[in-house]
Amino acid sequence: MIFRENGQYAATYAKDMRIFRLREDRVAVAVLLVVAFVVVPLVANDYWLSSIFTLFLIFSLAALGLNLLTGYCGQLSLGHAAFMAVGAYAAFNFAVRLETPVLFNFIGAGLVTAAAGFVFALPSLRIKGFYLAVTTLSAQFFIEWLFVSFSWFSAGSMMGAIDTPPMRILGWAVETPRDKYLLTLGVVTVLALLAKNLTRGEIGRSWMAIRDLDVAAEIMGVRLFPYKLLAFAVSSFYAGVAGALYAFCYLGSVEVTAFELALSFRLLGMVIIGGLGTIMGSFLGAGFIVLLPIFISITVAAFATRGLTDFLSNLELIVFGGLIIFFLIVEPYGLARLWHTTKEKLRLWPFPY
Amino acid sequence: MANSTATTAQSGPPSSVAGNVKPALMQLEEIELSFGGLTALNRVSLDIRSGEILGIIGPNGAGKTSLLNVINGVYRPQKGRILFQGQDRTNYRPHQVAAQGVARTFQNVGLFKGMTTLDNLLAGRKSFIHTNFFLQALYWGPALKTEVAQREKVEQIIDFLEIQAIRNTPVGTLPYGLQKRVELGRALAAEPKLLLLDEPMAGMNLEEKEDMSRFILDANEELGYTIALIEHDMGVVMDICDRIVVLDYGSKIAEGTPDEIRNNPDVIRAYLGTDEN
Amino acid sequence: MVDEFWFAMEVLISGLLQGFMYSLVAIGFVLIIKSSGVFNFAQGSMCLFAALGFVSFWEAGLNFWVALGLALVMMIVLAVVIERVVLRPLVARPPLILFMATIGLAFLLEGLAQALWGTQPHGLELGIPDSPLEGLPVDISQFELFAAAISLLLVLALVIFFHRTRVGRALRAVSDDHEAAMSVGISLQMMWGITWAIAGGVALVAGIMWGTRLGVQYSLTLIVLKALAVLILGGFNSITGAVVAGLIIGGSEKLVEVYLNIIFGIGGVESFFAYALAMFVLLFRPYGLFGDEIIDRV
Repeated sequence: MIFRENGQYAATYAKDMRIFRLREDRVAVAVLLVVAFVVVPLVANDYWLSSIFTLFLIFSLAALGLNLLTGYCGQLSLGHAAFMAVGAYAAFNFAVRLETPVLFNFIGAGLVTAAAGFVFALPSLRIKGFYLAVTTLSAQFFIEWLFVSFSWFSAGSMMGAIDTPPMRILGWAVETPRDKYLLTLGVVTVLALLAKNLTRGEIGRSWMAIRDLDVAAEIMGVRLFPYKLLAFAVSSFYAGVAGALYAFCYLGSVEVTAFELALSFRLLGMVIIGGLGTIMGSFLGAGFIVLLPIFISITVAAFATRGLTDFLSNLELIVFGGLIIFFLIVEPYGLARLWHTTKEKLRLWPFPY
Repeated sequence: MANSTATTAQSGPPSSVAGNVKPALMQLEEIELSFGGLTALNRVSLDIRSGEILGIIGPNGAGKTSLLNVINGVYRPQKGRILFQGQDRTNYRPHQVAAQGVARTFQNVGLFKGMTTLDNLLAGRKSFIHTNFFLQALYWGPALKTEVAQREKVEQIIDFLEIQAIRNTPVGTLPYGLQKRVELGRALAAEPKLLLLDEPMAGMNLEEKEDMSRFILDANEELGYTIALIEHDMGVVMDICDRIVVLDYGSKIAEGTPDEIRNNPDVIRAYLGTDEN
Repeated sequence: MVDEFWFAMEVLISGLLQGFMYSLVAIGFVLIIKSSGVFNFAQGSMCLFAALGFVSFWEAGLNFWVALGLALVMMIVLAVVIERVVLRPLVARPPLILFMATIGLAFLLEGLAQALWGTQPHGLELGIPDSPLEGLPVDISQFELFAAAISLLLVLALVIFFHRTRVGRALRAVSDDHEAAMSVGISLQMMWGITWAIAGGVALVAGIMWGTRLGVQYSLTLIVLKALAVLILGGFNSITGAVVAGLIIGGSEKLVEVYLNIIFGIGGVESFFAYALAMFVLLFRPYGLFGDEIIDRV
């Protein structure tokens, strides 16, 4: 991909403010969408569609939600897996109790989760920084406990185990991995676009201002509390929808342990490695984390043969932790910035000066 | 230009000839502020008059920045009143103060370092954007229209401050002098009635100081903003300020035109033996 | 009636003793926050790393004290490496970034410890039975008493170290004011290294205590989570706070767990009660019971 910016002048500010200002970028995105919507479903087998692509998209969405909160607004959450659980169980209850349409269930799941996120963000009126980060842990433990202890949430089944009912959208039975992939892709595409819009407007700027220097933000007229609450609510909305997709389009049979603390940390890792405060980084980070174990096992399998499973999971921990540290030190904006830098170089290539 | 204003104010004591004195935009009355027994401001009263450039000077630790923080609503004074355009607003929160049209720059550069120059300036336009969440998520209709309008306004400031080239650069990577300029731009973007500048020339070389002085004078004369500034460089203060207030150990020890301040024995005493920077 | 009273006492005392063990972990946090302002999420992984190392040395046939010494040296080396590789490049970065780096560190250490010494749980027997003392009206575990005594000794030792030794005073100077400390010739890097080494030592003690209780295995990394609640309740930069909050949480969560179960039949409250309590207190004291208030400066 070689960029030619010459001759592409933005004649109006509206044109200059488009998400993809360069024609090459717009073409690239169009190609990407065609590949995602048409080529992948035609070419990929069920394993790839479900275990790689659908999972990747769901994690991207959850990471995107966390990125809005942590990367844009600067508020750390260690409880996002639990918010995904809220979304999953909310969608389940909508589906089995009210038998409402599928998309309504997903949106409803997002809204219920947003409300939960809102409640757990209320202490942010008084509590700041790490103190607040630690209180998000309470959301994680409390929500896990809630779903395990009260079988009402799982329509009577013990320990919160649920089986998601079949999905049907206007006569389209969403059954095969391909259907589920397409449904997930559609939802994620729309939500990613909305997130991009939010972050490039006034709300996004206010969030970033709070992240970078909250005292100055307040003096510039940003009311900290409502904007933090909004960030928590929107972020939880995304986590909730991701959780519902995780349950309905990936897991099928869900237990509370699917949403334990380790997942919260994985999401955080995706955001850091992909790039704090970038939409694209959420996708890159999720892809990276989904592919990492596969990549490691292939590499190691080439060298060794015995006692692999333990070693692999430990190696994964080491690489995961090491990469988090590496990116924080070397490239705080993560893979997204690496991508951007490469693009800048290509833009000037072959005459770098 | 600045000198002519100064002479007007000089022509008599503030209260004697009413016609020559501009109305007060902001009045601080008997402000007292302390932190756990440590007095930061001790019964400080002062007026900031419409259209003037007011210099606030004093040795380190005299309470100058605390004074700005009180005006901004970051600190709440234990005693005293703050009037803005005649209205009592002593207990306003910082965002309310901003909504009234008070903008500010900071001693150690208070920019949003992860954001581009453009976004920083747009952040200064916060009080002019009133579109709701859903329109912003769609980036459509009124939301888009407002964004374009803010962008146009901000581009004017970018031209005014001659920072076109760094429009899309994250400000954290800019050299210090440019950061100071962007920060002034962010404050100007708010179209403030009152502009507070905390050491706008700190750490600058002579050329940068000249540029900054020019921008401040232009903002005052061409854009008509009232300005209160803290500055250690006496040459600059004496040159561009209409009036000067001197703080020492949290108390106001003098107030007047640059000439009066220069010859005030209390001021000379306060500065003797202290580090003048 | 009398029986019920003694039962409640027993629950309370066992909770309080458990609280001392929470404090052991929380103190490690406080040390590092006080000296370097870093919120070290990896403290739990350091416990695992230290305990797993120690057990492996001991099981390899070394004398108990030699194994202990070796583990201590290992933790000191680890501290120096962390200071060099992780902290130094991140100096002057926002606290949130440093915190996230220690989350990465937590995973790294957990993986490393298990890669070096295996994932099998190791039993650890210090020769002090986890059984009740005889001749008392209530059941109090000898081991819990021992652990509490060790915690108290450790706190005492730290207090003496910070107030009576040169290095300790230098560390306090650093925590009060970095720049002033540097200007009188205290090397910041050196002090950070020392603090992390001490925190490593504390992690070793905590890891052995908890390892005896739970077995030395990966779940040791999870005790850090309970310690976080203790930490925010007590306030980030107070050792006293860590101890008092440990006792409050240890005592109250046991009582709540037991009595909610008896009265309402609701179980498992223990998993989040500590956080709920800490959060509730924070609403009234945003910097914990003993923490220093932070004044915004611009």
